[in-house]
Amino acid sequence: MGLLLLLAVLDGLAYAGQLFMVAVGLTLVFGVLKILNVAHGSLFAIGAYVAATLIGWFGAEELSLLALAIAALAVGALLGPSIERGLLARIYDKEHVLQLLVTFALFMILEDLQKLLWGVQPRFEDAPVRLLGQVEVGGIFYTAYQLLLLPGVALVALLLLVWFLRRTLLGRSIVAVTHDREAAVAIGIDARFVYLSTFTIGAGLAALGGALAAPTTSLVPGIGVQMIVLSFAVVATAGLGQIEGAAVTALLIGLARSLAVYFAPELEVVVPYLLMVAVLLIRPAGLFGRRELRRV
Amino acid sequence: MLSLEKVEVAIQGARILRGVDLELPAGGRLALVGRNGAGKTTTMRAIMGLVPLVGGAIRFDGRDLARVPAHRRTALGIGYAPEDRRLFPTFTVAENVRLPAELLGLPRGELEARLDRVFELLPELRELADRKAGALSGGQGKMAALARALVTGTRLLLLDEPFQGLAPALARRYGEILARLVERERAMALLVSESNPELLIPFVDRVATIERGEIVGLAPAPRLAPP
Repeated sequence: MGLLLLLAVLDGLAYAGQLFMVAVGLTLVFGVLKILNVAHGSLFAIGAYVAATLIGWFGAEELSLLALAIAALAVGALLGPSIERGLLARIYDKEHVLQLLVTFALFMILEDLQKLLWGVQPRFEDAPVRLLGQVEVGGIFYTAYQLLLLPGVALVALLLLVWFLRRTLLGRSIVAVTHDREAAVAIGIDARFVYLSTFTIGAGLAALGGALAAPTTSLVPGIGVQMIVLSFAVVATAGLGQIEGAAVTALLIGLARSLAVYFAPELEVVVPYLLMVAVLLIRPAGLFGRRELRRV
Repeated sequence: MLSLEKVEVAIQGARILRGVDLELPAGGRLALVGRNGAGKTTTMRAIMGLVPLVGGAIRFDGRDLARVPAHRRTALGIGYAPEDRRLFPTFTVAENVRLPAELLGLPRGELEARLDRVFELLPELRELADRKAGALSGGQGKMAALARALVTGTRLLLLDEPFQGLAPALARRYGEILARLVERERAMALLVSESNPELLIPFVDRVATIERGEIVGLAPAPRLAPP
Protein backbone atom coordinates (compact mmCIF):
# COMPACT_ATOMS: atom_id res chain seq x y z
CA MET A 1 0.00 0.00 0.00
CA GLY A 2 2.76 2.44 1.02
CA LEU A 3 4.72 1.58 -2.11
CA LEU A 4 1.70 2.09 -4.34
CA LEU A 5 1.00 5.42 -2.71
CA LEU A 6 4.59 6.55 -3.30
CA LEU A 7 4.37 5.50 -6.95
CA ALA A 8 1.06 7.29 -7.36
CA VAL A 9 2.50 10.51 -5.88
CA LEU A 10 5.61 10.36 -8.09
CA ASP A 11 3.50 9.73 -11.21
CA GLY A 12 1.14 12.50 -10.16
CA LEU A 13 3.96 15.01 -9.76
CA ALA A 14 5.35 14.23 -13.22
CA TYR A 15 1.93 14.47 -14.82
CA ALA A 16 1.09 17.67 -12.94
CA GLY A 17 4.27 19.25 -14.31
CA GLN A 18 3.21 18.64 -17.91
CA LEU A 19 -0.36 19.64 -17.23
CA PHE A 20 0.67 22.89 -15.55
CA MET A 21 2.78 23.95 -18.51
CA VAL A 22 -0.15 23.64 -20.90
CA ALA A 23 -2.81 24.94 -18.51
CA VAL A 24 -0.84 28.02 -17.47
CA GLY A 25 -0.41 29.05 -21.11
CA LEU A 26 -4.13 28.62 -21.67
CA THR A 27 -5.07 30.66 -18.60
CA LEU A 28 -2.54 33.39 -19.40
CA VAL A 29 -3.91 33.78 -22.91
CA PHE A 30 -7.49 33.81 -21.63
CA GLY A 31 -6.65 36.34 -18.91
CA VAL A 32 -5.29 38.85 -21.42
CA LEU A 33 -7.01 38.14 -24.74
CA LYS A 34 -10.30 36.96 -23.18
CA ILE A 35 -10.35 34.19 -25.77
CA LEU A 36 -10.61 30.53 -24.79
CA ASN A 37 -8.18 29.07 -27.30
CA VAL A 38 -9.36 25.56 -28.23
CA ALA A 39 -6.33 25.21 -30.53
CA HIS A 40 -4.01 25.41 -27.51
CA GLY A 41 -3.89 21.59 -27.41
CA SER A 42 -2.67 21.55 -31.00
CA LEU A 43 0.31 23.69 -30.00
CA PHE A 44 1.07 21.07 -27.34
CA ALA A 45 0.87 18.32 -29.98
CA ILE A 46 2.98 20.20 -32.53
CA GLY A 47 5.57 20.90 -29.82
CA ALA A 48 5.71 17.16 -29.14
CA TYR A 49 6.02 16.19 -32.82
CA VAL A 50 8.67 18.83 -33.55
CA ALA A 51 10.64 17.70 -30.48
CA ALA A 52 10.50 14.06 -31.58
CA THR A 53 11.58 15.06 -35.11
CA LEU A 54 14.52 17.11 -33.82
CA ILE A 55 15.64 14.32 -31.48
CA GLY A 56 15.68 12.04 -34.52
CA TRP A 57 17.59 14.58 -36.62
CA PHE A 58 20.16 15.38 -33.94
CA GLY A 59 20.81 11.66 -33.40
CA ALA A 60 23.14 11.98 -30.43
CA GLU A 61 21.45 11.28 -27.08
CA GLU A 62 23.42 14.14 -25.47
CA LEU A 63 21.69 16.66 -27.74
CA SER A 64 18.18 15.38 -27.06
CA LEU A 65 17.42 17.82 -24.23
CA LEU A 66 18.55 20.67 -26.46
CA ALA A 67 16.12 19.37 -29.09
CA LEU A 68 13.25 19.73 -26.60
CA ALA A 69 14.15 23.35 -25.83
CA ILE A 70 14.58 24.27 -29.50
CA ALA A 71 11.25 22.66 -30.39
CA ALA A 72 9.40 24.69 -27.74
CA LEU A 73 11.10 27.94 -28.74
CA ALA A 74 10.59 27.37 -32.46
CA VAL A 75 6.89 26.47 -32.19
CA GLY A 76 6.21 29.36 -29.80
CA ALA A 77 8.13 31.90 -31.89
CA LEU A 78 6.74 30.84 -35.27
CA LEU A 79 3.17 29.73 -34.61
CA GLY A 80 2.43 32.14 -31.73
CA PRO A 81 2.78 35.43 -33.64
CA SER A 82 1.38 33.92 -36.87
CA ILE A 83 -1.83 32.77 -35.18
CA GLU A 84 -2.25 35.92 -33.08
CA ARG A 85 -1.63 38.44 -35.87
CA GLY A 86 -3.07 36.38 -38.70
CA LEU A 87 -6.24 35.19 -37.03
CA LEU A 88 -7.03 36.22 -33.46
CA ALA A 89 -6.35 39.95 -33.97
CA ARG A 90 -9.26 39.95 -36.42
CA ILE A 91 -11.80 38.61 -33.92
CA TYR A 92 -11.03 40.40 -30.63
CA ASP A 93 -14.12 42.58 -30.91
CA LYS A 94 -16.38 39.73 -32.04
CA GLU A 95 -18.84 37.60 -30.03
CA HIS A 96 -17.38 34.92 -27.74
CA VAL A 97 -19.22 32.21 -29.67
CA LEU A 98 -17.54 33.26 -32.89
CA GLN A 99 -14.14 33.38 -31.18
CA LEU A 100 -14.69 29.85 -29.87
CA LEU A 101 -15.71 28.62 -33.32
CA VAL A 102 -12.69 30.21 -34.97
CA THR A 103 -10.23 28.62 -32.52
CA PHE A 104 -12.07 25.30 -32.91
CA ALA A 105 -11.67 25.57 -36.70
CA LEU A 106 -7.98 26.31 -36.18
CA PHE A 107 -7.72 23.25 -33.95
CA MET A 108 -9.23 21.06 -36.71
CA ILE A 109 -6.84 22.53 -39.30
CA LEU A 110 -3.80 21.98 -37.08
CA GLU A 111 -4.89 18.41 -36.31
CA ASP A 112 -5.01 17.64 -40.04
CA LEU A 113 -1.71 19.41 -40.55
CA GLN A 114 -0.11 17.07 -38.01
CA LYS A 115 -1.38 14.02 -39.91
CA LEU A 116 -0.13 15.52 -43.15
CA LEU A 117 3.34 16.22 -41.80
CA TRP A 118 3.95 13.32 -39.44
CA GLY A 119 1.51 10.66 -40.66
CA VAL A 120 -0.72 8.51 -38.47
CA GLN A 121 1.81 5.93 -37.31
CA PRO A 122 2.89 6.24 -33.65
CA ARG A 123 6.28 7.85 -33.08
CA PHE A 124 8.39 7.32 -30.00
CA GLU A 125 11.65 9.09 -29.16
CA ASP A 126 12.82 8.48 -25.61
CA ALA A 127 16.47 9.60 -25.89
CA PRO A 128 16.11 12.26 -23.14
CA VAL A 129 14.69 9.64 -20.74
CA ARG A 130 17.59 7.27 -21.44
CA LEU A 131 20.08 10.12 -21.18
CA LEU A 132 19.06 11.04 -17.64
CA GLY A 133 18.87 7.42 -16.43
CA GLN A 134 17.07 6.24 -13.31
CA VAL A 135 17.00 7.16 -9.64
CA GLU A 136 16.00 4.99 -6.70
CA VAL A 137 13.32 6.26 -4.32
CA GLY A 138 12.34 3.96 -1.43
CA GLY A 139 13.50 0.90 -3.30
CA ILE A 140 11.67 1.86 -6.49
CA PHE A 141 13.58 2.73 -9.65
CA TYR A 142 12.07 5.69 -11.37
CA THR A 143 13.20 7.61 -14.45
CA ALA A 144 15.03 10.82 -13.48
CA TYR A 145 13.32 12.48 -16.43
CA GLN A 146 9.86 12.03 -14.93
CA LEU A 147 10.83 12.30 -11.30
CA LEU A 148 13.11 15.34 -11.50
CA LEU A 149 13.06 17.01 -14.90
CA LEU A 150 9.30 17.35 -15.51
CA PRO A 151 8.35 18.75 -12.07
CA GLY A 152 11.59 20.75 -12.00
CA VAL A 153 10.96 22.46 -15.33
CA ALA A 154 7.36 23.17 -14.31
CA LEU A 155 8.53 24.74 -11.06
CA VAL A 156 11.15 26.85 -12.85
CA ALA A 157 8.54 27.90 -15.43
CA LEU A 158 6.16 28.95 -12.64
CA LEU A 159 8.84 30.94 -10.80
CA LEU A 160 10.06 32.59 -14.00
CA LEU A 161 6.54 33.46 -15.04
CA VAL A 162 5.68 34.97 -11.65
CA TRP A 163 8.96 36.93 -11.66
CA PHE A 164 8.34 38.10 -15.24
CA LEU A 165 4.78 39.24 -14.51
CA ARG A 166 5.71 41.06 -11.30
CA ARG A 167 9.16 42.46 -12.02
CA THR A 168 9.40 43.36 -15.69
CA LEU A 169 7.73 46.24 -17.51
CA LEU A 170 6.21 43.95 -20.12
CA GLY A 171 5.01 41.57 -17.40
CA ARG A 172 3.33 44.35 -15.45
CA SER A 173 1.84 45.66 -18.68
CA ILE A 174 0.36 42.19 -19.28
CA VAL A 175 -1.14 42.15 -15.78
CA ALA A 176 -2.51 45.67 -16.28
CA VAL A 177 -4.21 44.66 -19.55
CA THR A 178 -5.63 41.59 -17.77
CA HIS A 179 -7.24 43.88 -15.20
CA ASP A 180 -8.51 46.61 -17.49
CA ARG A 181 -7.53 46.96 -21.13
CA GLU A 182 -8.88 50.48 -21.59
CA ALA A 183 -7.23 51.85 -18.45
CA ALA A 184 -3.99 50.19 -19.52
CA VAL A 185 -4.09 51.84 -22.95
CA ALA A 186 -4.93 55.18 -21.33
CA ILE A 187 -1.70 55.10 -19.30
CA GLY A 188 0.42 54.26 -22.34
CA ILE A 189 0.40 50.47 -22.70
CA ASP A 190 0.44 49.14 -26.25
CA ALA A 191 -2.30 46.52 -25.87
CA ARG A 192 -1.62 45.15 -29.37
CA PHE A 193 1.97 44.31 -28.43
CA VAL A 194 0.83 42.88 -25.10
CA TYR A 195 -1.63 40.57 -26.89
CA LEU A 196 1.08 39.43 -29.29
CA SER A 197 3.62 38.81 -26.52
CA THR A 198 1.14 37.00 -24.29
CA PHE A 199 -0.06 34.68 -27.02
CA THR A 200 3.51 33.90 -28.04
CA ILE A 201 4.44 33.07 -24.43
CA GLY A 202 1.31 30.92 -24.07
CA ALA A 203 2.07 29.10 -27.33
CA GLY A 204 5.66 28.55 -26.19
CA LEU A 205 4.50 27.09 -22.87
CA ALA A 206 2.08 24.71 -24.62
CA ALA A 207 4.83 23.66 -27.01
CA LEU A 208 7.22 23.19 -24.09
CA GLY A 209 4.64 20.97 -22.38
CA GLY A 210 4.37 18.94 -25.59
CA ALA A 211 8.13 18.75 -26.10
CA LEU A 212 8.59 17.51 -22.53
CA ALA A 213 5.81 14.95 -22.96
CA ALA A 214 7.25 13.61 -26.24
CA PRO A 215 9.90 11.29 -24.71
CA THR A 216 7.37 9.75 -22.30
CA THR A 217 4.61 8.72 -24.65
CA SER A 218 3.84 7.47 -28.16
CA LEU A 219 2.90 10.36 -30.40
CA VAL A 220 -0.31 9.67 -32.25
CA PRO A 221 -2.87 11.97 -33.89
CA GLY A 222 -5.18 13.41 -31.27
CA ILE A 223 -2.68 13.60 -28.38
CA GLY A 224 -3.48 17.29 -28.03
CA VAL A 225 -7.16 16.58 -27.41
CA GLN A 226 -6.78 14.87 -24.04
CA MET A 227 -4.33 17.51 -22.88
CA ILE A 228 -6.53 20.45 -23.86
CA VAL A 229 -9.60 18.93 -22.20
CA LEU A 230 -7.64 18.33 -19.00
CA SER A 231 -6.15 21.82 -19.23
CA PHE A 232 -9.64 23.29 -19.47
CA ALA A 233 -10.48 21.34 -16.31
CA VAL A 234 -7.42 22.80 -14.56
CA VAL A 235 -8.15 26.34 -15.72
CA ALA A 236 -11.85 26.17 -14.82
CA THR A 237 -11.13 24.59 -11.42
CA ALA A 238 -8.43 27.16 -10.59
CA GLY A 239 -10.42 30.14 -11.90
CA LEU A 240 -9.84 31.73 -15.28
CA GLY A 241 -6.67 33.82 -15.51
CA GLN A 242 -5.07 32.49 -12.29
CA ILE A 243 -1.36 31.66 -12.71
CA GLU A 244 -0.39 30.37 -9.25
CA GLY A 245 -3.87 28.86 -8.95
CA ALA A 246 -3.25 26.87 -12.13
CA ALA A 247 -0.08 25.42 -10.58
CA VAL A 248 -1.85 24.28 -7.41
CA THR A 249 -4.80 22.92 -9.37
CA ALA A 250 -2.58 21.09 -11.87
CA LEU A 251 -0.94 19.45 -8.87
CA LEU A 252 -4.32 18.54 -7.38
CA ILE A 253 -5.65 17.12 -10.63
CA GLY A 254 -2.38 15.37 -11.48
CA LEU A 255 -2.29 13.69 -8.07
CA ALA A 256 -6.00 12.85 -8.10
CA ARG A 257 -5.72 11.25 -11.53
CA SER A 258 -2.63 9.33 -10.53
CA LEU A 259 -4.18 8.07 -7.28
CA ALA A 260 -7.19 6.94 -9.29
CA VAL A 261 -4.92 5.02 -11.69
CA TYR A 262 -3.43 3.05 -8.78
CA PHE A 263 -6.40 2.66 -6.46
CA ALA A 264 -9.56 2.99 -8.58
CA PRO A 265 -8.56 2.63 -12.24
CA GLU A 266 -12.16 2.72 -13.45
CA LEU A 267 -12.33 6.35 -12.22
CA GLU A 268 -9.12 7.54 -13.88
CA VAL A 269 -10.81 9.41 -16.69
CA VAL A 270 -13.57 11.04 -14.65
CA VAL A 271 -11.69 12.06 -11.49
CA PRO A 272 -10.39 15.41 -12.85
CA TYR A 273 -13.86 16.37 -14.06
CA LEU A 274 -15.56 15.25 -10.84
CA LEU A 275 -13.13 17.51 -9.01
CA MET A 276 -13.91 20.35 -11.41
CA VAL A 277 -17.70 19.95 -11.08
CA ALA A 278 -17.47 19.76 -7.28
CA VAL A 279 -15.40 22.95 -7.12
CA LEU A 280 -17.57 24.86 -9.59
CA LEU A 281 -20.76 23.92 -7.73
CA ILE A 282 -19.35 25.40 -4.53
CA ARG A 283 -17.23 28.20 -6.02
CA PRO A 284 -18.44 29.13 -9.53
CA ALA A 285 -15.43 31.41 -10.09
CA GLY A 286 -13.04 28.53 -9.32
CA LEU A 287 -10.78 27.82 -6.35
CA PHE A 288 -8.69 30.96 -6.80
CA GLY A 289 -10.93 33.08 -9.02
CA ARG A 290 -12.85 36.16 -7.99
CA ARG A 291 -16.30 37.06 -9.18
CA GLU A 292 -16.11 39.95 -11.61
CA LEU A 293 -18.42 42.86 -11.17
CA ARG A 294 -20.13 43.67 -14.41
CA ARG A 295 -19.50 47.27 -15.44
CA VAL A 296 -22.72 48.99 -16.48
CA MET B 1 -3.25 73.53 -27.66
CA LEU B 2 -6.30 71.21 -27.74
CA SER B 3 -9.10 71.64 -30.19
CA LEU B 4 -12.10 69.48 -30.90
CA GLU B 5 -13.68 70.22 -34.27
CA LYS B 6 -17.16 68.86 -34.93
CA VAL B 7 -16.30 65.63 -33.11
CA GLU B 8 -18.79 62.83 -33.59
CA VAL B 9 -18.72 59.52 -31.75
CA ALA B 10 -21.12 56.59 -32.04
CA ILE B 11 -21.11 53.59 -29.75
CA GLN B 12 -22.98 50.48 -30.86
CA GLY B 13 -24.87 52.49 -33.43
CA ALA B 14 -26.01 55.20 -30.99
CA ARG B 15 -24.68 58.70 -31.67
CA ILE B 16 -23.16 59.90 -28.38
CA LEU B 17 -21.30 63.04 -29.51
CA ARG B 18 -22.87 65.21 -32.20
CA GLY B 19 -20.40 67.72 -33.55
CA VAL B 20 -18.61 68.79 -30.36
CA ASP B 21 -16.46 71.91 -30.76
CA LEU B 22 -14.08 72.91 -27.95
CA GLU B 23 -10.89 74.95 -27.69
CA LEU B 24 -8.45 74.77 -24.81
CA PRO B 25 -5.27 76.85 -24.92
CA ALA B 26 -2.14 76.11 -22.88
CA GLY B 27 -2.84 77.06 -19.29
CA GLY B 28 -6.60 77.14 -19.95
CA ARG B 29 -8.98 75.55 -17.43
CA LEU B 30 -12.27 74.38 -18.87
CA ALA B 31 -15.15 72.75 -17.05
CA LEU B 32 -17.38 70.45 -19.05
CA VAL B 33 -20.69 70.21 -17.27
CA GLY B 34 -23.83 68.30 -18.04
CA ARG B 35 -26.15 65.60 -16.78
CA ASN B 36 -25.27 61.93 -16.67
CA GLY B 37 -25.25 60.56 -20.20
CA ALA B 38 -24.75 63.99 -21.79
CA GLY B 39 -21.40 62.97 -23.33
CA LYS B 40 -18.79 64.21 -20.84
CA THR B 41 -17.02 60.88 -20.38
CA THR B 42 -17.21 60.09 -24.10
CA THR B 43 -15.56 63.44 -24.87
CA MET B 44 -12.67 62.54 -22.54
CA ARG B 45 -12.40 59.02 -23.97
CA ALA B 46 -12.38 60.43 -27.50
CA ILE B 47 -9.47 62.74 -26.61
CA MET B 48 -7.59 59.72 -25.21
CA GLY B 49 -8.34 57.68 -28.35
CA LEU B 50 -10.38 55.12 -26.44
CA VAL B 51 -13.39 55.45 -28.74
CA PRO B 52 -13.14 55.95 -32.50
CA LEU B 53 -14.44 59.13 -34.10
CA VAL B 54 -17.04 58.81 -36.80
CA GLY B 55 -16.58 62.44 -37.76
CA GLY B 56 -14.60 65.57 -37.00
CA ALA B 57 -11.08 65.87 -35.67
CA ILE B 58 -9.19 66.32 -32.44
CA ARG B 59 -5.94 68.29 -32.62
CA PHE B 60 -3.22 68.70 -30.03
CA ASP B 61 -0.64 71.37 -30.80
CA GLY B 62 -2.07 71.40 -34.31
CA ARG B 63 -1.40 67.69 -34.76
CA ASP B 64 -4.34 65.48 -35.75
CA LEU B 65 -4.62 62.90 -32.95
CA ALA B 66 -6.19 60.42 -35.39
CA ARG B 67 -2.57 59.71 -36.38
CA VAL B 68 -1.45 59.13 -32.80
CA PRO B 69 -2.34 55.67 -31.41
CA ALA B 70 -4.18 55.80 -28.08
CA HIS B 71 -1.26 54.38 -26.10
CA ARG B 72 1.10 57.07 -27.42
CA ARG B 73 -1.02 60.02 -26.33
CA THR B 74 0.43 59.99 -22.82
CA ALA B 75 3.83 60.65 -24.40
CA LEU B 76 2.43 63.98 -25.68
CA GLY B 77 1.94 65.04 -22.08
CA ILE B 78 -1.71 64.06 -21.66
CA GLY B 79 -2.97 62.45 -18.44
CA TYR B 80 -6.44 61.06 -17.80
CA ALA B 81 -8.15 60.22 -14.53
CA PRO B 82 -11.39 58.35 -15.32
CA GLU B 83 -14.53 58.80 -13.27
CA ASP B 84 -14.43 55.29 -11.80
CA ARG B 85 -10.66 55.42 -11.02
CA ARG B 86 -9.79 52.25 -12.98
CA LEU B 87 -6.69 51.48 -10.89
CA PHE B 88 -5.08 48.06 -11.23
CA PRO B 89 -6.25 46.35 -8.03
CA THR B 90 -3.36 43.89 -7.50
CA PHE B 91 -0.76 46.63 -7.92
CA THR B 92 0.22 48.82 -4.99
CA VAL B 93 -0.48 52.54 -5.14
CA ALA B 94 3.20 53.15 -5.88
CA GLU B 95 3.16 50.62 -8.74
CA ASN B 96 -0.01 52.15 -10.20
CA VAL B 97 1.53 55.62 -10.17
CA ARG B 98 4.96 54.51 -11.35
CA LEU B 99 3.87 52.36 -14.30
CA PRO B 100 2.89 55.17 -16.71
CA ALA B 101 6.16 56.96 -15.95
CA GLU B 102 8.16 53.79 -16.68
CA LEU B 103 6.24 53.32 -19.92
CA LEU B 104 7.42 56.74 -21.06
CA GLY B 105 10.97 55.42 -20.86
CA LEU B 106 12.18 58.44 -18.90
CA PRO B 107 15.74 58.45 -17.57
CA ARG B 108 15.78 57.30 -13.94
CA GLY B 109 16.52 60.73 -12.47
CA GLU B 110 13.75 62.41 -14.43
CA LEU B 111 11.32 59.63 -13.54
CA GLU B 112 12.02 59.95 -9.81
CA ALA B 113 11.78 63.75 -10.00
CA ARG B 114 8.41 63.48 -11.71
CA LEU B 115 7.11 61.04 -9.09
CA ASP B 116 8.41 63.27 -6.27
CA ARG B 117 6.55 66.20 -7.74
CA VAL B 118 3.32 64.18 -7.81
CA PHE B 119 3.72 62.91 -4.24
CA GLU B 120 4.56 66.43 -3.07
CA LEU B 121 1.11 67.48 -4.21
CA LEU B 122 -0.54 64.38 -2.70
CA PRO B 123 1.47 63.66 0.45
CA GLU B 124 -1.20 61.32 1.86
CA LEU B 125 -0.37 58.87 -0.92
CA ARG B 126 3.16 58.37 0.41
CA GLU B 127 1.69 56.58 3.43
CA LEU B 128 -0.48 54.44 1.16
CA ALA B 129 2.29 53.71 -1.33
CA ASP B 130 2.58 50.03 -0.40
CA ARG B 131 -1.14 49.37 -0.12
CA LYS B 132 -2.85 47.39 -2.90
CA ALA B 133 -5.10 49.63 -4.98
CA GLY B 134 -7.90 47.10 -4.52
CA ALA B 135 -7.85 47.84 -0.78
CA LEU B 136 -8.23 51.62 -1.10
CA SER B 137 -11.35 53.53 -0.10
CA GLY B 138 -13.19 55.46 -2.82
CA GLY B 139 -11.55 58.74 -1.84
CA GLN B 140 -8.07 57.26 -1.62
CA GLY B 141 -8.65 55.66 -5.02
CA LYS B 142 -9.57 59.06 -6.50
CA MET B 143 -6.32 60.52 -5.15
CA ALA B 144 -4.29 57.63 -6.57
CA ALA B 145 -6.04 57.97 -9.95
CA LEU B 146 -5.24 61.70 -9.93
CA ALA B 147 -1.60 60.93 -9.11
CA ARG B 148 -1.39 58.40 -11.94
CA ALA B 149 -2.83 60.94 -14.39
CA LEU B 150 -0.45 63.67 -13.19
CA VAL B 151 2.58 61.51 -13.97
CA THR B 152 1.91 61.82 -17.70
CA GLY B 153 -0.42 64.82 -17.73
CA THR B 154 2.22 67.49 -17.66
CA ARG B 155 0.64 69.53 -20.47
CA LEU B 156 -3.02 68.49 -20.49
CA LEU B 157 -4.90 66.92 -17.61
CA LEU B 158 -8.31 65.33 -18.12
CA LEU B 159 -10.32 64.72 -14.95
CA ASP B 160 -13.65 62.97 -15.34
CA GLU B 161 -16.07 63.72 -12.50
CA PRO B 162 -13.35 63.95 -9.85
CA PHE B 163 -15.79 64.81 -7.05
CA GLN B 164 -18.26 62.05 -7.89
CA GLY B 165 -18.94 59.83 -4.87
CA LEU B 166 -16.63 61.71 -2.48
CA ALA B 167 -17.75 62.45 1.08
CA PRO B 168 -17.86 66.22 1.83
CA ALA B 169 -14.58 66.20 3.78
CA LEU B 170 -12.78 64.32 1.01
CA ALA B 171 -14.33 66.56 -1.65
CA ARG B 172 -12.93 69.58 0.22
CA ARG B 173 -9.49 67.95 0.38
CA TYR B 174 -9.66 67.11 -3.33
CA GLY B 175 -10.61 70.72 -4.01
CA GLU B 176 -7.59 71.96 -2.06
CA ILE B 177 -5.33 69.69 -4.10
CA LEU B 178 -6.83 70.93 -7.37
CA ALA B 179 -6.39 74.53 -6.22
CA ARG B 180 -2.72 73.90 -5.43
CA LEU B 181 -2.28 72.09 -8.73
CA VAL B 182 -3.65 74.89 -10.91
CA GLU B 183 -1.59 77.39 -8.93
CA ARG B 184 1.60 75.35 -9.34
CA GLU B 185 1.21 74.16 -12.95
CA ARG B 186 0.25 77.39 -14.68
CA ALA B 187 1.11 76.20 -18.20
CA MET B 188 -0.85 72.98 -17.86
CA ALA B 189 -4.27 72.88 -19.50
CA LEU B 190 -7.11 71.34 -17.50
CA LEU B 191 -10.33 69.82 -18.81
CA VAL B 192 -12.55 68.67 -15.99
CA SER B 193 -16.08 67.32 -16.13
CA GLU B 194 -18.70 67.35 -13.43
CA SER B 195 -22.45 67.07 -13.07
CA ASN B 196 -22.41 69.77 -10.39
CA PRO B 197 -20.68 72.86 -11.91
CA GLU B 198 -20.42 74.73 -8.60
CA LEU B 199 -17.71 72.33 -7.42
CA LEU B 200 -15.47 73.30 -10.33
CA ILE B 201 -15.89 77.04 -10.46
CA PRO B 202 -12.88 77.83 -8.20
CA PHE B 203 -10.51 75.99 -10.56
CA VAL B 204 -11.68 76.90 -14.06
CA ASP B 205 -11.87 79.98 -16.22
CA ARG B 206 -14.60 78.79 -18.58
CA VAL B 207 -17.59 76.48 -18.37
CA ALA B 208 -18.90 74.51 -21.36
CA THR B 209 -22.30 72.89 -21.07
CA ILE B 210 -22.96 69.67 -22.92
CA GLU B 211 -26.41 68.22 -23.57
CA ARG B 212 -27.19 65.11 -25.59
CA GLY B 213 -23.76 65.13 -27.16
CA GLU B 214 -23.75 68.80 -28.17
CA ILE B 215 -22.08 71.84 -26.64
CA VAL B 216 -25.01 74.14 -25.90
CA GLY B 217 -23.23 76.84 -23.94
CA LEU B 218 -19.77 78.25 -23.32
CA ALA B 219 -19.26 81.03 -20.81
CA PRO B 220 -16.59 82.45 -18.51
CA ALA B 221 -16.69 80.91 -15.05
CA PRO B 222 -18.55 83.18 -12.65
CA ARG B 223 -16.31 84.83 -10.07
CA LEU B 224 -16.96 83.72 -6.54
CA ALA B 225 -17.92 86.29 -3.98
CA PRO B 226 -15.09 86.92 -1.52
CA PRO B 227 -15.62 84.99 1.73
